[in-house]
Amino acid sequence: MEPQTKRWKGSVCDSDSWVAYPVLSDEQSQDVELIKAFAAPIVNKKETSRLLRELSTLYPLNGLQHIKRVRAVREKGSPHPLEVLVCLVSDAPDTKVINIDSLLPSDGVRRDGLGEPFVVKVPARPPLTRPQFELASKHWPTSFHEDKQVTVALRGELFSPPQKARMHMYMTSALTAAQAGKELGMEAVGAVVVDPATERIVAVGHDCRGDHPLHHAAMVCIDLVAQSQGGGRYSFDRYPACGFTSPTSDPFQSAPGSEASPQPYICTGYDLYVTREPCVMCAMALVHSRIGRVFYGTASADGAVGTRYKIHSQKDLNHHFEVYKGVLGKQCEDLNGLGHHIKRERVQQSR
Amino acid sequence: MGTEEGRKADSAKSFYPSEEEIERWMSNAFDMAKDALENGEVPVGCLMVYDDQVVGKGRNEVNETKNATRHAEMVALDQLRDWCRRGNLDASSVCERTALYVTVEPCIMCAAALRLLNIPVVVYGCRNERFGGCGSVLDVSSADLPQTGTTFKCVSGHRAEEAVEMLKTFYKQENPNAPKPKTRKE
Ligand SMILES: [Zn+2]
Ligand SMILES: [Zn+2]
Repeated sequence: MEPQTKRWKGSVCDSDSWVAYPVLSDEQSQDVELIKAFAAPIVNKKETSRLLRELSTLYPLNGLQHIKRVRAVREKGSPHPLEVLVCLVSDAPDTKVINIDSLLPSDGVRRDGLGEPFVVKVPARPPLTRPQFELASKHWPTSFHEDKQVTVALRGELFSPPQKARMHMYMTSALTAAQAGKELGMEAVGAVVVDPATERIVAVGHDCRGDHPLHHAAMVCIDLVAQSQGGGRYSFDRYPACGFTSPTSDPFQSAPGSEASPQPYICTGYDLYVTREPCVMCAMALVHSRIGRVFYGTASADGAVGTRYKIHSQKDLNHHFEVYKGVLGKQCEDLNGLGHHIKRERVQQSR
Repeated sequence: MGTEEGRKADSAKSFYPSEEEIERWMSNAFDMAKDALENGEVPVGCLMVYDDQVVGKGRNEVNETKNATRHAEMVALDQLRDWCRRGNLDASSVCERTALYVTVEPCIMCAAALRLLNIPVVVYGCRNERFGGCGSVLDVSSADLPQTGTTFKCVSGHRAEEAVEMLKTFYKQENPNAPKPKTRKE
């Protein structure tokens, strides 16, 4: 098969028209959960280190290592410069009146230098992303081990202009395949598998479910990749827009029986570009196939890598992959005007 | 039109295998799994039964096809489609009255595929803690997914320990360092 890359050379590449955002796990994208705690002003700064030592013995903040015990008071003109976390509300002794004496038993912590307690909210979990960190820090100072790649990706700036130009080209091939499938009466979904190491398109496919109800575009591509490796189960010969290129153009590698360099194994390390978010079957097929990354244009109602499930980051599964959405989002959405309609209807139903 | 819809709804409600059927077809599935184990293959037996006859009989063919989606269930579904083609029957209406018997809980992918084909009942032996799509990892079988076919009923736990033992034996010989599949009784 001729890869369709040539056609796009020289054409104006409008890769500024879209932004690829990461689809993060629930843990990374959920709201900041807060728990109540008692804090108290440190009225005598000289007592700080003793208070910290004694408080952490009496009330260790188990599982809350991300929380800083002391904070500086932000308001100007405050009579005291520091505040300290005494304990979680749930750890406080059960008394009717809460004051500093009821929180601190006489033999545990000397209350010299402490003012009267008040309730604050502190983040229950360590922040995983910069937005979570910024939200958490509004409530109480929190430490943060930043994953720089996630931060940059959330700003939509992970991919350089040349990378975006290539992504644009790959998704354009997927769109072309989707259009070809649509003209044959299939669902308008197209997909492309790319080897990012060589920047080559390994397989191009479109939805073929008029033929077989399970031949979604991603499933077609998985079988085409198998065919490129000498396997495969189906024939897509009658679909000119579906095809593959064999990974061995290197004469040393293509020698029969040669084991000089590692042979490609299923979809390991490959990227999938697909015009709309894969369903549960396709998403799990990509887990089984060890896909490296998935890029999709537009979300789908039952989508399984962002919308209904996040199978790419599902705990318990033995393989995880990165997912980015929004690549040529507008063009992918325009492919199926109906999809948009369905989505709106679903939103209304769920209200 | 109205009667057609009525018949469909009716058949889905009444379509449920009897104890004897479960006993008989699962014993068949276990024989297949044993056979696979003796031949060094993943010990999963799987068959699709329509109108008291086996219309699909699958075994895992991931290695020979280099396609990681060729699980026993997917293979059996293709056999069912071939069987319909030969008999000039409509595959989608056959699927609506077909039960799947399998020694291990279908994975998430296969569970979604079974939904997409509107298979109404799945009878399985042990849980699949690593990939299970009928409750162990995700419950795809009963989830509200209007674009992903229809939900299906599960009958689980039939000869579960035996199915687990076969998997354990397989993974032991496959890779002595591999973690053993967890067992859990239904
Ligand atoms: Zn799909
Ligand atoms: Zn499966």
